[in-house]
Amino acid sequence: MIRQIKAELLKVRSTRTTIGLLLGMIALILLFTLLTGLLASASSFSGTENQRQFLGISDLAGVFSALAGVMLVASEYRYGTIRPTVLFTPHRSRLLAAKTVAGALAGVTFGIVGAAIGWALGYTILTSRGITFALNSGDIILLVLGGLASVALWGAIGTGLGAVVRNQVGAVITLLAWGFVVNPLLFGLVPAVGRFMPSYAGDALVGLTTKHLLSPAAGGAVLIGWTALLAGIGFALTAQRDIS
Amino acid sequence: MTQVVVAESLTKRFGKVVAVDGLSFELEAGTITGFLGPNGAGKTTTLRMLLGLAAPTSGTALLFGRPYAELERPALRIGAVLEATDFHPGRSGRDHLRMLGQSVGVPDSRVDEVLRLVELTDAATRRVKGYSLGMRQRLGLAGALLGEPDLLVLDEPANGLDPEGVRWLRDFLRSFASHDRTVLISSHVLAEIAQTVDQVLIISRGRLVVESSLQDLTSRVGGAVRVRSAQPEQLEAALTKEELKATASGDQVLLVHGATSERVGEIAFAAGIPVHELVTEGSSLEEIFLELTAEGES
Repeated sequence: MIRQIKAELLKVRSTRTTIGLLLGMIALILLFTLLTGLLASASSFSGTENQRQFLGISDLAGVFSALAGVMLVASEYRYGTIRPTVLFTPHRSRLLAAKTVAGALAGVTFGIVGAAIGWALGYTILTSRGITFALNSGDIILLVLGGLASVALWGAIGTGLGAVVRNQVGAVITLLAWGFVVNPLLFGLVPAVGRFMPSYAGDALVGLTTKHLLSPAAGGAVLIGWTALLAGIGFALTAQRDIS
Repeated sequence: MTQVVVAESLTKRFGKVVAVDGLSFELEAGTITGFLGPNGAGKTTTLRMLLGLAAPTSGTALLFGRPYAELERPALRIGAVLEATDFHPGRSGRDHLRMLGQSVGVPDSRVDEVLRLVELTDAATRRVKGYSLGMRQRLGLAGALLGEPDLLVLDEPANGLDPEGVRWLRDFLRSFASHDRTVLISSHVLAEIAQTVDQVLIISRGRLVVESSLQDLTSRVGGAVRVRSAQPEQLEAALTKEELKATASGDQVLLVHGATSERVGEIAFAAGIPVHELVTEGSSLEEIFLELTAEGES
């Protein structure tokens, strides 16, 4: 299993896709943090919740780690490398488990880079605008570690989604539509259901206190549940399907 | 003799279509077997079932006595190439091999070794998208060789190769099998592999139609290779040394049975005997092949 994880991490590192995703993530976090930080009025940064939301912009990293996770499976089908991969690791559950772990580990990298950039820029903006920093150490730990966990789990969720959908374009569209359309719609219309969607479970995990959100612990559990569910469906489908 | 591959009543249905229909065969260690049939005969589906990529509808396929997926690290015993194009275009050839190697514990030094073997060392760190088809074929082969296998399974490896590449592949496979290792190689063109294989399995519409040694198949052709030379005695001696039967047929003409014209020409060349005429009489191997594989159609 360790061998397979090493091989999967090499797959992530050995194409330009991952670097492209990392650069895209950095650009987007910088842009959103700058725009929000410079354009919004000082009063909109007062209080812990506002500052959590502002510094939580770095959790956009989750989108990119999920995309990297999707690629880990879908690009194998797209380019046919799934054939040699399965010939070398015919135990498909072991293969998918290794991919899921590798997706999460890649997610940790995305999370660390994203948080470092978002926090460095965000904190600089807050202090240079003379805004009192309102978060205590507990808030910060939850925001940073919760954010890291959610970005890592998004990597694993992406891997599971890739295994379920397989088609690269289909999986990417599914991911974006689910995260940016279905989740907010559900949360807006039926918050009792929407709060169990992974985007909002992630918000809960970092300590956001928006109305209807779950507790941080429950949010984390729900995110783990999504990861397990998708990995489970992915396992079941991959074990049965022939590889053409 | 050790049976390296045993297929028993292998059957694969896709809905109503029977792609492979009760196929049984065995491969002995140290043989090179040509797996022949027209496109769509079920060759690739059979190979996928042998290699655990597709589940048979019924029947079994055992390699070294067990189904592929149940072998412990099968890539260390069996090397296979199913498509010449199974690479991420943005990954270097070396990284492609490293990622496969790492999953079974093959060190990077072995990666560099197989790259040398297939003559890709210079291109190793370049992205695969810049590789020619011949280079991709060789990279695929390098992947199959990573685990130093005893059995090599290649699906249409000569597809798209130039004559030089085909010759390279033939020499490579001969040297591979000379160490008591086994090769199963599929093709839809008999001529492409006739000079490489010891025996042939011919399938048509998913069924086995011929299982024989290449020599038996050649003698089934009935006809013979007609060769004219100014030194018929020396040529006959050279042919006899290669265990071929030649009969004199008039002045300076020999009729050679159980051989292809390619083989006779090569033997004459190796013996340094000028040949003035070299003709296949009766139906050629290729014609027999087409005849056999057309049987199922009507």
